[in-house]
Amino acid sequence: MAVSNTSSITLSASDRLIAGVLALLLGGFLVFGAGLANSAVLHDTAHDTRHSYGFPCH
Amino acid sequence: MIVRYLLAALVAGLFSGVLMTAAQEARVVPLILHAEEFEGGDEAAPAAEGTTPTTEGAAATHEHSSLGAVLLDMASSLSPVSVAYAHDGEDHEEGGIMFGMSRFSGTLLANLVTGAGFALLLAGFSLVSGHPITVANGALWGAAGWLAVHMLPAIGLPPELPGFPAADLTQRQIWWIAAVVLSAAGLYLLFLKPGIVAKIAGLVLIAAPQVYGAPQPSDISSAVPAVLGAEFAVAALATTLFFWIVLGLSLGFANEKIAKAA
Repeated sequence: MAVSNTSSITLSASDRLIAGVLALLLGGFLVFGAGLANSAVLHDTAHDTRHSYGFPCH
Repeated sequence: MIVRYLLAALVAGLFSGVLMTAAQEARVVPLILHAEEFEGGDEAAPAAEGTTPTTEGAAATHEHSSLGAVLLDMASSLSPVSVAYAHDGEDHEEGGIMFGMSRFSGTLLANLVTGAGFALLLAGFSLVSGHPITVANGALWGAAGWLAVHMLPAIGLPPELPGFPAADLTQRQIWWIAAVVLSAAGLYLLFLKPGIVAKIAGLVLIAAPQVYGAPQPSDISSAVPAVLGAEFAVAALATTLFFWIVLGLSLGFANEKIAKAA
């Protein structure tokens, strides 16, 4: 594992890609569920959050 | 090691989500409650006022009191049936809030999930592109995230209050997702790629969804006062900017902690 003092990323290139893609997939899933998913229960629970973040809902 | 980077993003996201909830309760939620009095035209307004005179009045008059309202909401979230929850039930017949939570705890939960989600997206973007987020550049990363997710899409689809007219939901969501992705890619080319060609391509990507145009409603008449909508749009964009800058800074801080521990 490449460790450098100038960068705060201490992962090798392939680990960095794996971590990045994992983070993007998981983050996209969470944001979709809280902000965009077309479920009445999810919508009502997240109602004020969805409006505050300007997600297109209703 | 991979897991620690994901955990750093989660910690930063949850922290930002908590602060965002306080900012929302202070600046945004009172405007949403106020707008709901007008939602559905003239029959809904007197009913809402009749059932919940105290909170509706408080929301209308104390729109700008911050800490007191937050504490009040926190206190009311502890009681099993809060007034806000009863009010919410009027507007949405089916559905209802998960696990029988109060309206405030539903918002808090949604903010925690959204905060963690945006933190993971920001961390993932940074990891894949190979540009680390630090305390020094964290605020700029946050500001770029706000531009891509909120400011630029809001040019086509401004944040809407309950009761606002809007075009077809699926079309708006597709345009919104496309605008966020294209704006993020454009900002990446503009800020992180050297060379004049990359800058021009970035500007083209950012402009593309705006030139194409967001789906607009055919009839823009609404029972919600325009002043309320203007206040809400500014409050929504200001609180999300606050959220993203806190998120960028805390993600930079968490990343540096991990780098030192490694």
